[in-house]
Amino acid sequence: MNIVWTVVTAAALVALTVADPQSVLSVCLDSCSQAVTAALGLCGVYCLWMGIFEVAERCKLVEKLSGCFARLNKFLYGRLSETAERYVSLNFASNLLGVGNAATPSAIAAIKETERGERLSRSGAMLFVLNATGVQLVPTTVMGLRATMGSADPSDILLPNLIATFVTSVVGVALVFCAYGKAK
Amino acid sequence: MSYVVPILLVAVLAVGLVKRVNVYDGFVCGARKSFDLSLTVFPYLAAVFIMVNALHASGLDVWLTKLLSPPFALMGIPSEVVQLVLLRPFSGSGSLAILTDVYENYGADSYVGRCASVIMGSSETVFYVASVYFAGTKVRRTGWAVPIALFCNLLGAAAACLLCKVM
Repeated sequence: MNIVWTVVTAAALVALTVADPQSVLSVCLDSCSQAVTAALGLCGVYCLWMGIFEVAERCKLVEKLSGCFARLNKFLYGRLSETAERYVSLNFASNLLGVGNAATPSAIAAIKETERGERLSRSGAMLFVLNATGVQLVPTTVMGLRATMGSADPSDILLPNLIATFVTSVVGVALVFCAYGKAK
Repeated sequence: MSYVVPILLVAVLAVGLVKRVNVYDGFVCGARKSFDLSLTVFPYLAAVFIMVNALHASGLDVWLTKLLSPPFALMGIPSEVVQLVLLRPFSGSGSLAILTDVYENYGADSYVGRCASVIMGSSETVFYVASVYFAGTKVRRTGWAVPIALFCNLLGAAAACLLCKVM
């Protein structure tokens, strides 16, 4: 992340300075205020879902969910602590639902649980790849946008989308297995 | 589909009621943590936004799009959606804006429009997710995780264009 961010940002800023030196500072400042707005927006989303998840946790619903995914988790992650397993299951379920950003709190909690050192562990990599390949059954946002843009059948992308998501997730998992070996 | 979330919300509350859990207290306790979480995430968001906006304002993204169109064409990705594929790993709102542009210029039901929809639906903002997920940890070296995720998104884009041709 360090190298990618620094190289891309530096290159972009140099190009921007050549093209329009006046706008450099305003672009940077705008980005930071945009981050403030986005963080507050995310805070609202997290607030709802973390509240609901806490209730589900206290009702022992998350434990049951984690029981349902036990075999899948064992295959993907190997041995996890009980807490981590719960968060991972919650994360998987919220991803399937496809509610924007609802999966983030549980993913962060799971990664806090599995990561101790500077180098990302196999479980962390698996969780990240699964989230970054978009295990999502219904692309709600895209379908909503298509509907407003006058599509005759906004949901006709469902099947190709499902297949594409499935392909990327399977390849992602396979590559994690290649890079990190089997789950221990 | 629009009933899933409402049912889920009501169901969780109802189970809490039946099991005599203090639902109100639980919600408040969980919700309180959201502020800390968004504070941890905030500086990472700022960094990603600076990168994305500088990239966009400098016109470097258009130049990259032109440069990468031929190799992407070899993978069956039409030039109209290359910009979307390129920007998607960096910014969710930015790629949504490009998606809207594609719909406006080519129509939501056109081949290009459907390709763009599936690309958008089956991929993720990899860099954004990477910066946010590792925000609260000591992780500095992510090893293979980011390259694997990027490769999968590219593969997903190629698969999307192929699938839209036959479906």
